[in-house]
Amino acid sequence: MRILLSGLVRNRKALIGMIIIAAIVLVALAAPLLTEYNPAARVGRPHQPPSADHWLGTTRIGQDVFSRLVHGARTSLTVGFGAGLLITALGTALGIIAGYRGGKTDEVISFFTNMVLVVPNLPLLLVLAAFIGQASPLVIAIILGFTSWAWGARVTRAETLSVKHKDFVKSAEMMGEPRWRIMAFEIFPNLISIVGINFIGSVIFAIITEATLEFLGLGDPKTVSWGMMLYNAQKASALSVGAWWDILTPCFALALLGVGLSLLNFAVDEIANPRLRTGNRLSRWTALIRSGEGRL
Amino acid sequence: MVFLLRRLGFYLAAFVAAATINFFLPRLMPGDPIQIMFSSTGTELSAENLASLKLTFGFVDGPLWQQYLTYLQSIFTGDLGRSIKYFPLPVTSVLGHALIWTVGLMGTATIISFTLGTFLGVLAAWWRGGIFDVVVSVGAIFATSVPAVVTSLIVLFFFGFTLGWFPTGYAADPALDPSFSLTYIGSLLYHGILPMLTLCTVLTGGFAVTMRNNMINLLGEDYIVMARAKGLSDSHVMIWYAARNALLPTVSSLAIAIGTVLGGSLVTEVVYNYPGLGNILYQAILARDYPVIQGQLLIMTVAMLVANFIVDVSYVLLDPRLRGA
Repeated sequence: MRILLSGLVRNRKALIGMIIIAAIVLVALAAPLLTEYNPAARVGRPHQPPSADHWLGTTRIGQDVFSRLVHGARTSLTVGFGAGLLITALGTALGIIAGYRGGKTDEVISFFTNMVLVVPNLPLLLVLAAFIGQASPLVIAIILGFTSWAWGARVTRAETLSVKHKDFVKSAEMMGEPRWRIMAFEIFPNLISIVGINFIGSVIFAIITEATLEFLGLGDPKTVSWGMMLYNAQKASALSVGAWWDILTPCFALALLGVGLSLLNFAVDEIANPRLRTGNRLSRWTALIRSGEGRL
Repeated sequence: MVFLLRRLGFYLAAFVAAATINFFLPRLMPGDPIQIMFSSTGTELSAENLASLKLTFGFVDGPLWQQYLTYLQSIFTGDLGRSIKYFPLPVTSVLGHALIWTVGLMGTATIISFTLGTFLGVLAAWWRGGIFDVVVSVGAIFATSVPAVVTSLIVLFFFGFTLGWFPTGYAADPALDPSFSLTYIGSLLYHGILPMLTLCTVLTGGFAVTMRNNMINLLGEDYIVMARAKGLSDSHVMIWYAARNALLPTVSSLAIAIGTVLGGSLVTEVVYNYPGLGNILYQAILARDYPVIQGQLLIMTVAMLVANFIVDVSYVLLDPRLRGA
């Protein structure tokens, strides 16, 4: 753990990534201090270009874009980290149980994991969200958590299989430690890097997917988030009427957060497994992101 | 052969799982499932039409398992109900028509980015640590970590609106009639460039990184050293010894990527107003046209399963060890 942390500080990619994320987190925390405008209220004339009054202009219905940007960061980050945590917890638990217990348990879990992997994620989410109606960020985070754990489970299971025949696991078994203890305290700590990579990948996936679902019109209109900013700007044909600030602001915010998290993920992978510095199993996180993405 | 049959059985199970979700979801929601599904029909639907729609979705008198079997029966006979927004068109024809556009766009983009990504990955691995490698790797991070919707909008803004080089919507000039004429096909290609560029940007990075990493793993293998020791030329070793073997795992990553392509393609179509599944779906979501929303899950699942099966087959062709199994 300590090696991981000191490595992160020394790795340039990680440093840039962490600076980006820290900046976004700070902005999100300080949102009410940064702007006096209510993000949901009409505070100016419609579609005003950026000016001293409205730093990033106004939306079609006269909301302040900068205020929506900084307040929206809270939603994106909360959904991202909340759903990411849920996805990782489920995936890790199922992966370790399947890998360690083996036999029938493994067969059942692996079957479900593979099944979830071949059902396309975004279409499934669209159906779920459509029936739920206007999905609030909390609801989106929960359905993301319960539909997107499969990659994590598969990767964790594979890693568990390689750890479970090591001597320290055997000796814990000989000493009669209960199974849950072996899984939680002998195996899990050895998978920490894969869990970390899974977590960051899941956060990226959750942020991207939340924005996509909202962009496609499945969000709750009252939500202030980057996805809803995209949806409203698209619905107001912001690009056609020349209101580029309305649509490019959430675009750049999402891009920046995505890049920051990816840099961090890349770095964790490199530090946790020195062999990977030439890029050995890096495919894992891209697989996570990409399955995530298409998952979208 | 046994391998492929086992996969087919598994795909069938996956399809039934998707259908099961469709069946239970309206019944799990609070309130009347019929009300949920068909509330947006309004009055234009005759009682007779509504009754046949209900039958398709298994809303029959009887126990749940009987309703479930009724629903499965309509699914397996290819009846996905009728669209409420485009009534009386059946869901299959609404989606089927759009699917052609999506598959065209998606297929071309996948082929281009797979080829380009693989090529870039091979070169990056060959010159690993060099400028080219850094540019490809970092470029891939940027491209894969930006949501498809953002890439679409930024590409559209710069090339469509600011520079005005390309059209900003539709699959072809709406003034032209679809035909096999040169003008129409030209217009088709011209309108397709931006969506294609977007999808390729989103996809190429992932393929490049996968290929690069596979290659780097293989370059340490004894048979590569042996090939070089034999005095074979660099390009010969690179292509016929390393790249050929590194391609195998990349093909399986293609199966995973299909989901990405589908998702990315949906969003891209909405942004470019392209007449594919994404756009139909967007309209269906806005109109709460549940039969269409449910139908797309089944059709996309089938598309995904077919693509997976093609990958399985090509895997058997590429990896001789699987042929006997």
